[in-house]
Amino acid sequence: QTNQVSGRVTSETGEGLPGVNIVLKGTNKGTTTDSDGKYAFAGVDANSVLIFSFIGYTTQEIVVGNQTTINVQLMLDMKTLSEVVVVGYGTQKKADVTGAITSVSETALREVPVANLQQALQGRAAGLEIQRTGTRPGAGAQIRIRGTRSISGSNEPLIVLDGIPFDGSLNDINPNDVASIEVLKDASATAIYGSRGANGILLITSKKGETGDTKVFYNGYHGIGTVANKYPLFSAAEYQAMRNISPWAEGYMPEELKSIQTGRTTDWQDLMYQGAYRTDHNLTISGGTKANTFSLGAGYFKETALLPGQDFTRFNLRTAIDSKIGKRISVGISSINSLNITNGSQFVVGGTMYPILSLSPLMPSRDSLDRIYKVPSGNILDNVTYNPLYLKENNNNWVDRVRRLRTFNSLYGEYEFFEGLKYRLNLGLSYEQQESAQFQASDLASNPSYFRPQRGNTAFVNNSQAWGYTLENLLIYDKTIAQKHRVNFTGLYSIQEGQFYNTSVRKDSITDNFVQFYNLALSTPINSSNTALGGGESRSAIISYMGRLNYAYDDKYLLTVTGRRDGSSRLAVGNKWFNYGAVSAGWNITNEDFMQDIKLLTNLKLRAGYGVTSNQSVGIYSSLGLVSNNNGLQAPGNIISYNFGNTILSGYQVSALPNANLSWEFSKTTNVGVDFGIWENRITGSIEYYHQKTDRIIYGVSLPATSGVTGNFQTNIGEMENKGFEFSISSVNVRLDNGFTWSMDINLFTNRNRILKLSNNVQRDIANQLHVGYSMTSIYDFKKLGIWQIDEAAEAARYGARPGQIKLLDYSGRDGVPDGVINDFDRHIIGNADAKLQGGMTHRITYKGFDFSTVFYARFGGLLISQIHQPDAAYLTNLDGRRNGIKVDYWTPTNPSNWFPMPGANRTVSTEWTTLGYYDASFVKIRSINFGYTFDKSILSRFGMRSVRTYFTIDNAAILFSPYFRQTGIDPEGTGTGNQGVSNPGNIRGGANGVVTISASTPPARTFTFGLNISL
Amino acid sequence: CENKLIEKPFTVFTPEYFKTPSGFQSGIVALYSGLRFLYGPEGAVTLGTVGTDEWTYADQPRTGAGGTQDIVTMGNYTLDLGNGQILTPWNRSYFNINLANGLVEFAAQVPMSESEKNIGLAEIRFLRALYYLNLVQHFGAVPLDLGSGELKFNQVAFQDMNRLPLAEVLTKNYQAIIDDLTFATKNLPDRRPANAFRLSKAAAFALLAKAYIHRAYSSAKQATDFENAFTAATEVINNQARYGTTLLPNFADVHRPRNDYNLEIIFSVERIPGNNNANEVGNPTGIGGGKGVDAANDFNPDYTAVRAPLVNSATQPCATRNLLYGRPIRRFCPTPWLYNVAFADKENDSRFDGSFRMVWLATQDGGGFRANIDTGFVLAKTNRIADSLNALTSPTGGRLKPYRVIAPREFYLIGGSFAQNIYPGLSKYEDPDKLTPNDTGGRPFPVIKLSEVYLLAAEAAVQLGRTNEAANFINVLKRRAAFRPGLTNAQVEARYNAIRVSPAQMNLDYILDERTRELCGESNRWPDLAIRGKLLERVKAFNPDGAANIKDFHVLRPIPRSQLDALTVPNASIYQNPGY
Repeated sequence: QTNQVSGRVTSETGEGLPGVNIVLKGTNKGTTTDSDGKYAFAGVDANSVLIFSFIGYTTQEIVVGNQTTINVQLMLDMKTLSEVVVVGYGTQKKADVTGAITSVSETALREVPVANLQQALQGRAAGLEIQRTGTRPGAGAQIRIRGTRSISGSNEPLIVLDGIPFDGSLNDINPNDVASIEVLKDASATAIYGSRGANGILLITSKKGETGDTKVFYNGYHGIGTVANKYPLFSAAEYQAMRNISPWAEGYMPEELKSIQTGRTTDWQDLMYQGAYRTDHNLTISGGTKANTFSLGAGYFKETALLPGQDFTRFNLRTAIDSKIGKRISVGISSINSLNITNGSQFVVGGTMYPILSLSPLMPSRDSLDRIYKVPSGNILDNVTYNPLYLKENNNNWVDRVRRLRTFNSLYGEYEFFEGLKYRLNLGLSYEQQESAQFQASDLASNPSYFRPQRGNTAFVNNSQAWGYTLENLLIYDKTIAQKHRVNFTGLYSIQEGQFYNTSVRKDSITDNFVQFYNLALSTPINSSNTALGGGESRSAIISYMGRLNYAYDDKYLLTVTGRRDGSSRLAVGNKWFNYGAVSAGWNITNEDFMQDIKLLTNLKLRAGYGVTSNQSVGIYSSLGLVSNNNGLQAPGNIISYNFGNTILSGYQVSALPNANLSWEFSKTTNVGVDFGIWENRITGSIEYYHQKTDRIIYGVSLPATSGVTGNFQTNIGEMENKGFEFSISSVNVRLDNGFTWSMDINLFTNRNRILKLSNNVQRDIANQLHVGYSMTSIYDFKKLGIWQIDEAAEAARYGARPGQIKLLDYSGRDGVPDGVINDFDRHIIGNADAKLQGGMTHRITYKGFDFSTVFYARFGGLLISQIHQPDAAYLTNLDGRRNGIKVDYWTPTNPSNWFPMPGANRTVSTEWTTLGYYDASFVKIRSINFGYTFDKSILSRFGMRSVRTYFTIDNAAILFSPYFRQTGIDPEGTGTGNQGVSNPGNIRGGANGVVTISASTPPARTFTFGLNISL
Repeated sequence: CENKLIEKPFTVFTPEYFKTPSGFQSGIVALYSGLRFLYGPEGAVTLGTVGTDEWTYADQPRTGAGGTQDIVTMGNYTLDLGNGQILTPWNRSYFNINLANGLVEFAAQVPMSESEKNIGLAEIRFLRALYYLNLVQHFGAVPLDLGSGELKFNQVAFQDMNRLPLAEVLTKNYQAIIDDLTFATKNLPDRRPANAFRLSKAAAFALLAKAYIHRAYSSAKQATDFENAFTAATEVINNQARYGTTLLPNFADVHRPRNDYNLEIIFSVERIPGNNNANEVGNPTGIGGGKGVDAANDFNPDYTAVRAPLVNSATQPCATRNLLYGRPIRRFCPTPWLYNVAFADKENDSRFDGSFRMVWLATQDGGGFRANIDTGFVLAKTNRIADSLNALTSPTGGRLKPYRVIAPREFYLIGGSFAQNIYPGLSKYEDPDKLTPNDTGGRPFPVIKLSEVYLLAAEAAVQLGRTNEAANFINVLKRRAAFRPGLTNAQVEARYNAIRVSPAQMNLDYILDERTRELCGESNRWPDLAIRGKLLERVKAFNPDGAANIKDFHVLRPIPRSQLDALTVPNASIYQNPGY
């Protein structure tokens, strides 16, 4: 006897759930719910069991019995929420995944109200290292997935937004628009991106509309920033004490003497720092009917700094429409548009902090008539250092603006031939325009110009545009055969092309300051010798074929095989095509029969994979050989020119050899992982080990001058290794019947980086700070042991030193043993900047409507390069008495410090001051503390609202542990990469893959934020 | 779709560009431009100047990139292969030579008229010869084969060095130089444009004469070298109208600022005064490493520190640097031999005054001095003159001369007093048109002048035993040297008679002395001595800084360490010059 049952499936809130799968257990028969969650199912009997399943909800099995109406309420399940993950070109059940993928959910992203995704991701995923490289608004970060692989090429991961490679920056993406982020780490996961996969991939999925009533969401916050830590400077009395024993012999300025008499002091930091704010407002409207869903969003974000003239603003517009035409066709469009305006990032940020930190605390900021005191230097030499208070009163004296408009659109069309076989066409279209505008006014008596003291005005404009498209043809076959064999095949043919073009002009002698850079022809003379023009173009394309087979047998044995073939325009003819492959396997042990009795273990999966990917480290056009008109000298005199009389001509020279064999850098990765779930998945986690070897690294071999070519010869010669462990665990620590829960996520990971080979016989490239057998961030320098003390005078004298000078380790000598002389032989690898262990921890506590969470971020081990403490790099710890500076404990005969030498102490080795800048980089920070309250639904429904949550957040809340902070009072996170100082200490690798360093920068803010999430 | 993978750059040029007419010309421009590294910048000036009988290092010698005092170690002959100054010719020549090889190779494919192409080829080959001549005079044999064959365009990453066997390679070096210059004498225009220094037959004959003379003293010498040098030099001397060159009446005018295109100068490496961008000088206050004329500052004494009117006065009337006097970098100062012997006669021979600054006007008001009007201080030519000027009293009592007169015994010459960083400053490269006093100079830098052609002709004649002719050539220069504006013809004649030479005086040493008087400070002295085998003798006799350490092998520079480090052969040191 067969009957029909019908009913309605609702969510935990009682709303109808559309699209719920209902299957008759033991058969292939099934149906889905309609837009209201209603269904009807014919052909069941009393013994039939119906399985109701829906992504993100716990699956329920119900015996039909004699019921004809079965209404089901499905419950949200934290475990199953994360069960589907986005993989390249598709999605996959988490249980089926065999590669190393970490998901960061929308909830996790929202836990820290942040300016950009890189901040949101910091400390949130094992294997994903994000180091701050700036404190100004809109600053970027150094992002590494499982370490560094390239010396000269990019080590940044590929960003894929809604399936299409995204060439913009993470700053272009509104964190509020993001539904989830997947971090693809091993070759099995990334091999489908072939030549772009070696650095790992950030797969970002934006929010889509959902069927149901049209909903309106407002998410917004406003935060007030305060100075987290002022830079510790010498007080007026301490400055005087230091200056009095320093070699500075010019004496105090008259105003300083007055201050000494009257006790007047100036705190330049207090005068300059101002309140900052961060504000973010987003409106999203989404909804849909059976066939059509949509999501529309608009956002506004602005962040200002604690210093004048620096801010970042982002406007966003987003549209996503998905539509089904008939039964077999679906189409959709998603458009993400952003306008970013960054002020103060180009020259303001670099020219601001130094005077604030170095001006004499004895100099007044204003004169007796309360006018800004123009030249407040405490010495006679800095007579063109103007008062930084002029920064607060811009008076159209400068413009430092970067404006960037970006539109990123993806369209798709999908056709289902029959159940299981689909064809999909993806089209990605992007366009980006950026203008960098700079203007610095001429210095006038009536209107002093902070950035151009005693000079005329100057302007610079750089316009660039980039466009690109991606066209992908996908064939997807998804079939379960004989119930136990689940097969998914994805085939791809794609083409990507992009072009970049820029034009720049630099011009001085603009007729009047009010013109700024708006018409550079309004100048006298029109063509002064300081006019400089620039520009460039590059275009590249990739054509790819890809195939991936996922096979699962009985949910126990999993196999993924991936192959990709890429052809790239960047490589020479005959050398353009390369193949990539990866294979990985998984074993869901808990699905084995013998495991069924072990109740403790809910989930246990082993994964292993091996594959090859590469890094597009070859510069566009670099295999061609290069003839250029650049002479390699300093701009603006860097164009090869010659004159015959008054006729000036431009010349062209061979600057690089062609290399038809130039190729990618290939990374071979082995990955082994275990996923586990204990106690009904109250504790879940995974442990991974990986080993990655990158070979054919491009390294510029310096050719002998007699080869007739000046530039280094770029060739594939280097090798590098990265290996590490990753550990992540999520647990529900407490779950009480009254609704109290306390859950926790922890991730910890390590990475060891080692250069294995550079060039035929290069073991040590000091100029580029590369050392075979050591990490890319190795520091090659003298080892500072302390300061020579008075009772060590005799020993010091043997090294030509005396008490009060830096005591360096006599590490070696000409014959490889310590020789009693401090010289170049005593430089060695004294450490590196890599963390030995790093990770993050998040705690969440919820009770009734209240929620509380904290995010910790920690790094352990490694050396930190503090350029602020390297006198020659920052000029802030010279202790020469000429200027104030960072407070350090220096040696005097009565103060046997081992930190800084006596003011004015000679150096025994000319570069020894660099050794003052190395500290233990370990730290533990509380990134944020969040406290929220969600209003009761029964109250809200009276006002027609679905949900309202308010929250209060403190970010950058505390530094719990940091030897550097304890010693210096300065935040241990980086402010930039490479050398950022006024003079190069010569021991830091700069450039694209420069080491993260700390220098004087906009002080980090601690922000107190109040936020509101409303859903209508 | 595969077409998408073909690169079609808009802004990137490949060597194919040199096969187009504009590319061919752009390559020639680059070859001319490359000479700026070798004529004027500090590295080139140091190599030609310091450690000779004429010059030694002054009190502010450069500390080089490696932390060594490059100029000091060159001047006192303790230099090693890490010396930074020798990198200037070594690192700045081969890529130009390679470009020249490429242009010669591609010329056949360039669609342009044969006559035009031959002029271009003649320029290319002249310039290639000049680069080689510069290298050979410092390093001896240097590779003709950069990796793809002798005088072939190298486009491979060649990490060896084709320098051996030395004697054979040196012979080929000279032959290549002479072949290139001979081609140039046949295909270049007779004369340069009036207000530009494009290459001409005059330049080609002049340089050819020099090349023959260099070879004549080398192990590659051929019996006809001096004769050929004589022929080439006299071709220009005897046809001055045709080749558009002549000696100026007044020696002091030859190097006078704003007179850079005078007819006596046959070929200069050009620059535009005050136009740093056109001169490829991005950082005009930087010193060395670039293309600016550091010579404009390198010879300047520390005029800013001189106290006046008395040694113990509080006033320093020239404390402000000005454009004409430039930056007092104090790299090189004259030896006593230069001052006392070579220019023993500073009266009848105008060339000392035409080459050196001895008077500095006040550059700032104060202490009774008015800027640009009052004399700040003068260097007296003799101690006696200084003493008598200082002793003169005015009718009202006190000193008659309100400025400081400094006696030679107070100069910072070797053997002089170190109390003052002051000495006669070479004025040949002064550049009042630069933008700030510290800027590098921006004037054209002479490579060859008609006066040197006379010297070459005279030298060839001496070596050929034709001392009469030699004396005649020298006396042409002497007669011009006697001239000073304002003198009567009789006075000039009297002075000429005081300094003229006889055939009996003619020998190589006299020629070298005369080269000093005519060419001192023009970055030629070190190779002039080294090539002629006179370096050791003269440094030992006249340069106390260098005398102690100079050895036989110092007549060649070491092959730079960076070159040897970049070779991948196991025993790179076999390519080093002996002794280093």
